Amino acid sequence: MSDIKSIIKKIGGLKPIPQVASKVMSIAENPESSMNDLSNVIIYDTAVTANLLKMANSAYFGLPEKFDSVHQAIVYLGMAQVVDLVLLSASGENLQTAQDGYDLEAGELWKNSVFSALIARELAEKKGVKETHLIFTAALLKDIGKVILSQYVKDSFDEINALVTEQNFTFKEAEKQVIGIDHAELGGMVAENWNFSPKLVEIIRHHHRPQKSSISEFESSIVYMADTICMMMGIGVGSDGLAYRFHRKVVESLELTERDFQKIIAGFVEKLKQLETMINI
Amino acid sequence: MNLIVGVSDMKVSNDRETILVTYSLGSCIGVAIYDSVARVGGLLHYMLPEASLDQEKAGKNPYMFADTGIPALFKAAYKLGANKQRMKVIVVGGSQVLDQKGFFNIGKRNDIAVRKMFHKNNVIIDYKDVGGTVNRTIRLAVNNGDTWIKVSGRGERKI
Repeated sequence: MSDIKSIIKKIGGLKPIPQVASKVMSIAENPESSMNDLSNVIIYDTAVTANLLKMANSAYFGLPEKFDSVHQAIVYLGMAQVVDLVLLSASGENLQTAQDGYDLEAGELWKNSVFSALIARELAEKKGVKETHLIFTAALLKDIGKVILSQYVKDSFDEINALVTEQNFTFKEAEKQVIGIDHAELGGMVAENWNFSPKLVEIIRHHHRPQKSSISEFESSIVYMADTICMMMGIGVGSDGLAYRFHRKVVESLELTERDFQKIIAGFVEKLKQLETMINI
Repeated sequence: MNLIVGVSDMKVSNDRETILVTYSLGSCIGVAIYDSVARVGGLLHYMLPEASLDQEKAGKNPYMFADTGIPALFKAAYKLGANKQRMKVIVVGGSQVLDQKGFFNIGKRNDIAVRKMFHKNNVIIDYKDVGGTVNRTIRLAVNNGDTWIKVSGRGERKI
């Protein structure tokens, strides 16, 4: 078993999430906020602004004109969409790198994260959630723990793999057994360290077991479902594969039929190509 | 040169330099076919079992579904001179989340769909690596039909 304290210490080595992310979140949560409030916050972060404009101008949105200002992007895409794009721009640095322990090449974990976030947002909208940024952000950052744990998974892969293939462990359970901590638990600690809201921390921590969440079971269930869809579609999936548990009760609590589920998948297959143009920047 | 077959996509080739490849099959299924006389290879990556889910989408992209994608794969190979009797057929993918049983089990349904289709049309599967919880990638060399399956984290092997 590895020294858990030394693993937790590595949280400090992650690239911090730019402040603009939490600022746009609070603007999004305040119904009084105006377009100017939003654009004024974004433009002071030049790196995020540049990324935002690149994404807004990508084929994913297929807009006829090229934007050259944040204000224009907000006018065309709407505040909610721009907030999500800022969250994407702010989260990429840690998640875009290769994660050898999970056999993920550079960009693969990122693709999984962005896709999960988009699916989670759609599911949330279907369930009538008005404020989807919390769910979007949680789905986007759910696997942040993997960025730290990857090295440890690599060192103990054979042991982890044996538990998964021979003893019906999930990959996460095997991480916990062999390393002493799993990527979801570690992800929750990262979220705490970054001063995320308690709800956001909980969703990240319980994204594989939403029923364990006390203050955000519904949101965690949505993120769990989005993650499951992504795994089944094989979007940015690595050595952990689909080795996580299917919680039938969680799915039933969202009142989704299998046909709904397949329709969501069919809809996202079409978006996959455009999405790749948006995130390969 | 690698010719990449995306999700819900299909490619056939008789170019001997080409290697057909499809990455990251979760619950999706990859069907690879090869005629060693005509030296024609084809690869399909379908996502869902039945086109009845959405006929409009199936019309636009038949490769999304087993029941429209598989016939399209064979027809495209015949056009390049392949012959059904000589065809080597490989099926991979169809993974499942743990404890999924029958519920929302697209991997299993995708597997049933291809088996049903092949049974009806007298096609014999020469090699199958389906199910489990792993993520697979398949490559097929058009030159000689050599095929490799990579399982994420567990390396690649020639079959």
